Formats: sequence, structure tokens, C-alpha cells
Amino acid sequence: MAILSAAGLRLGYDERVVAEDLSFDVPDGELTVIIGPNACGKSTLLKALARTLKPQAGTVTLDGRPLSSYRSKDVAKRVGMLPQSPIAPESITVRDLVGRGRFPHQGVFRQWSHADEQAVEAALVATGVAELADRHVSELSGGQRQRAWIAMALAQETELLLLDEPTTFLDIAHQYEVLELCARLHREGRTLVAVLHDLNQAARYATHLVVMKAGVIVASGTPGEVLTAPLVEDVFGLPCEIIDDPQTHTPMVVPLAAPTAQAR
Amino acid sequence: MSAPSSRCTGSGQFLRQGPVSPRPVLRMGTWLSLPVRRRSVVVGAILALGLLVLTLLTLTLGTLGVPLAELPRAIVDPAPGRTEFVLNVLRGPRLITAIATGAALGVAGALFQTVTRNPLGSPDVIGLGAGASAGAACFGLLIPGLIPVPAGALVGALAAMGLVWLGTGRGFSSPGRMILVGIGVSAMAVAFVQFVLTRAGQQEATTLATYISGTFADRQWSDVAISGLTVAVLVPCALLLSRRLDLVEMGDELADSLGGRTTLTRSLVVLVAIGLATGAVSATGPIAFVALTAPQVARRLAKAPGAGILLSGLMGAVIMTAADLLVQQSPFGVQLPVGLLTALVGGVYLGYLLVREWKKGTV
Repeated sequence: MAILSAAGLRLGYDERVVAEDLSFDVPDGELTVIIGPNACGKSTLLKALARTLKPQAGTVTLDGRPLSSYRSKDVAKRVGMLPQSPIAPESITVRDLVGRGRFPHQGVFRQWSHADEQAVEAALVATGVAELADRHVSELSGGQRQRAWIAMALAQETELLLLDEPTTFLDIAHQYEVLELCARLHREGRTLVAVLHDLNQAARYATHLVVMKAGVIVASGTPGEVLTAPLVEDVFGLPCEIIDDPQTHTPMVVPLAAPTAQAR
Repeated sequence: MSAPSSRCTGSGQFLRQGPVSPRPVLRMGTWLSLPVRRRSVVVGAILALGLLVLTLLTLTLGTLGVPLAELPRAIVDPAPGRTEFVLNVLRGPRLITAIATGAALGVAGALFQTVTRNPLGSPDVIGLGAGASAGAACFGLLIPGLIPVPAGALVGALAAMGLVWLGTGRGFSSPGRMILVGIGVSAMAVAFVQFVLTRAGQQEATTLATYISGTFADRQWSDVAISGLTVAVLVPCALLLSRRLDLVEMGDELADSLGGRTTLTRSLVVLVAIGLATGAVSATGPIAFVALTAPQVARRLAKAPGAGILLSGLMGAVIMTAADLLVQQSPFGVQLPVGLLTALVGGVYLGYLLVREWKKGTV
């Protein structure tokens, strides 16, 4: 039985239904990556797991109990979520931003315990932004800023961490920097679920790959099992060849050249 | 065995002396720990000092002023006579009402601006002041004598907020819609006031015009009670909500996943802000722009993230007492509505803000 699990979800925004009767167990201890074309419902599923979107039907359970039966802060101590575009408050320092991740552990009178202090320092060090701690978030580069946000999510000290497209808007080197960070957090024992766009990055870093299309999970398993040329063509409409990634020996998607290009 | 212990001290020293300096924290046992920002404390102390100076100036300046040397004795043991009259009737209630309404409006503005993530968000913008004016006009001139004018203003403000609540279709949980609907409600209320003014006699119209510009002239101890109670009850509520409000500032999704309960928090914050602004309005009539400017100035001084509830309240009190001091000492006499002054200064500031936002490309 997975710690975090969704059963029979109907998800959507007002009238528009994105997914119907969707079930998904978050595999414990894995780095799960969800891929799929735009509007397939992958981010929506993540939001439902993080209870930032209320399912129209079905339930998300934590340790077998519905999320709605928990106190809001108690869920936040166990499941963390970094949305796609969080807003950094004006004139906030990296340390203060990371400190806000401690909210579920704090109270009206206990706003900054020694445990808070330690969690924030550890998160700053783990994400490599300790030297930037007293800088303003607005002064940081895209990659540094994303690491600061991940540090905030880490300071929350949750066993599960959900990341919605953590590499979007980053240039290529910073994308790998963030992915390496995710891989390290996974090795250190956390359960992660990330939505990614790049299939090769997904194949390289996922220990468990989930493929979605039109609100349905069409395949899941290790990247080697899941990522086949027919599947990529079917789900993404992209004719391709799958080769061996020379670095990691994970599958690598190489799109077929268009006929005109082949002729040249 | 000595190696680990020496490493421990090493890392401890790193924490104390290295570039990573932990922030100062006020601690009592394990149950109380509050982070302290030095700059905010300094700014707060300066504002408090400023407020004290303004208070003394208000009580001592002018021909009717109580000499500074006599002030302590006069406050502790007011002997009947001129001094007692100045303190108890002429300037005391007026001063305390100014401080309390200033604080209430400052905090209300801080709450609105943070919850709408918009520096222009304020009770003025969503039609609260205009509603209060319409209420005052209605119960002051159209059907006079039914209820007192301040109570009429209260009814008007609440009615306007009721319309906004209904008009958004989502209650107070969607600030963007609140601003849009509020502009509409404001326009309707202003039209209503104009209509009433056209039907009123000249004397009545002047009285009403003074009230709806906001004034501290002839404040009674009952006004002190209204505004003081508002501040005493609702500012602590605002402080209790402020940490959840800080989360809302980072976006709804993140706030929800941190356990901030965005929708509930937002509705409560708006309710508290409306309560504060309404309390202020019913004590003095609508005073423009204090709610807008106080939090902005406080924020720029403190350079801190978050709503800055206490500093905004202090700033509001400072602005209001300063404006009223100017009015009292002005050649136009004590009956000049203080709202005119704050509107003048605030209008210029609003223009500056708009230009700034426009340059940043956010408007």
C-alpha cells in the first residue's frame, strides 16, 4: 500500500473535465517522473495529490485515510509541493524564503524554534545556496532561484516531494543542475514525483516513469520498459527511434528526420 | 574520539562567525520563539517616537495649547477649567480618534494590499468609503433623524461591501474580481451622493460635504470608543492571520500545499480589513488614501517581505495625526476636513505609484 494514493479521481476546472476515473499510487522511495503531451492532465494530477486542486470525485489518501480528514498543517508536514510558478514576495531574502517552508511546523507563539533553524540551514546547504542566504531572491539567476525554491520545499521536511515542471524556464545547464539535485534527494531517501517535459531527461533521471495521454495513464514502469518507439509515436505523435544513452544506458528518444531532410 | 567533538565545535563556530549568520530570535523556554528583524524594530521605534512628538505638538501648540510643563499634571489630575476643556473636549478625543483611525486604516490597507498582491488594493478602491458617504447622505439628508449619521455611514459601508460580496460571485475569495466590482459599486455610490446633494439645501449640503471628506472636528468620546475598540479587537486578529497571509503572497498553490488554507485565509483577511476600515469610517467619515499610502511607506522603510501589520498601523497613525495637526494649525481653521489634506497628499503619491508600476510594466 502506497503512502500517497489516488483512486477514482475526476479532475477538472469548473466545467472542463481533464481526467475521469484516474487512479495512481505514488511508488514509495522512487523518483517518479510523469510525462505526456500538453493538457494531458499531468500537472492536474500532481495538484490533486498535493490537494491544491479539489477532485470533483474520488479520493486522495495518505496512509489510507482521505486527505480531507487530516488537519491542513498535518498533511503539509508529510507532502510538499513546488508549483510551476511560485511568486517570490518583494524584498525577501533567500533565507526568509526558505524559512517560510517551516510554516506547518510552527505556531502562533513558536515561530522560530531551533528545529526550524536547523532545517533551514540544512536545506540551504543541500541545495547549494548557503552562500546566497542573505541575498535577495530577485537578484538571483534562474537556476539559483529554482534551487532556493527547492530549498524552501526541503525545509518543509516532508517525506514526499512533488515538483511541477521544476526545469521549465531554466537554461540547459541549470536544468541538469536541478535534476541532479532531485536525483540526490532521491538517493538520500525521499520519495519524489516530478512532471517533466523533456523525454530524455525523464528517461535518464526517473526510477519510475508514468506516461499520460488525455487524462489516462497509458504506461508506467522503469524507463527501459516503458519508453518504446510505438508508445512515443502514439502518445506524442512523434515518429522516433529509441537508442541507448551512451552515458547512462537509459533509453534515448531520437526523432526521425523528416523525409525532405533525409533527401538532402 | 577527539576528532568528532572538535569537528562539532568547528561547525558551531562556522554558524556563529561564517557568512551564514542566524537571525536574532526572541526566545522564552520552548513555547515562545519569535524571529526579530533589526531594521523593522528600528523603524518601529522611530515611528513610535514620531507619534509621541506629534501627540505632544497637538496638545501643546497654539493659543489654546497646554504648556508642556503642565501637561503631565493635567493628564493625571485634570483640574476643571481651560486646560481640562482643551484636553477632554477640544483636542483629546480628536487626537485619540486620529491615532486609532489612522492605525485601523493603515492595517486595513496592509491587509488589502497583501491579499490582492496589488499595491493599489485598499478599502477605498473597493468602494467602502464611497458606500459610507452614500449611507451618510441617505440617513443624513434624504431620511434624516432615523439613525445618527455615523451609523448611517456604517450601514452604507456594509451595504457596499454586501454588494461587492454578491457581485464577485465568489464572495471575498477573489481579490481581482473584488476590485472590478468595487469600482462599479463606488461609481453607483458616488452617483447617489451627487443625487442627494442636488436635492439638499446649501447649509445641509456643506455639512454633508465636510462629513464625507472625513473630519476630526468635534470628535466625541463615543468616537474614541468606536475607533479604539475596532483597533483593540481587530488588529490582534490581523496579527494572528499575518503568517498565513505571508503564504498567500507566494501564490495559492504553494500556500495551500504549505497548509495555509488560501480561500479561508483570504476571506478572513478581507473581513478583518473591512471591519477595520468600517470602524474608522463610522468614527470620522471616509478619510481618503491613508489606507493606500501608510503600508506602502512602511514597506519601503522596513524593506521587509510580508504585510508589515504593526508598522503599517503605526505609519497610519503618524500620517493621520500629522495631517490633523496641520489642519488644526492651518489658517483655514479646525473645521477644514482632514480628508482633503490626506487626499491631496495621497493623490500625488498614488500618481507616483502608478508611474512606478507602469515603468515596471505591471499595470
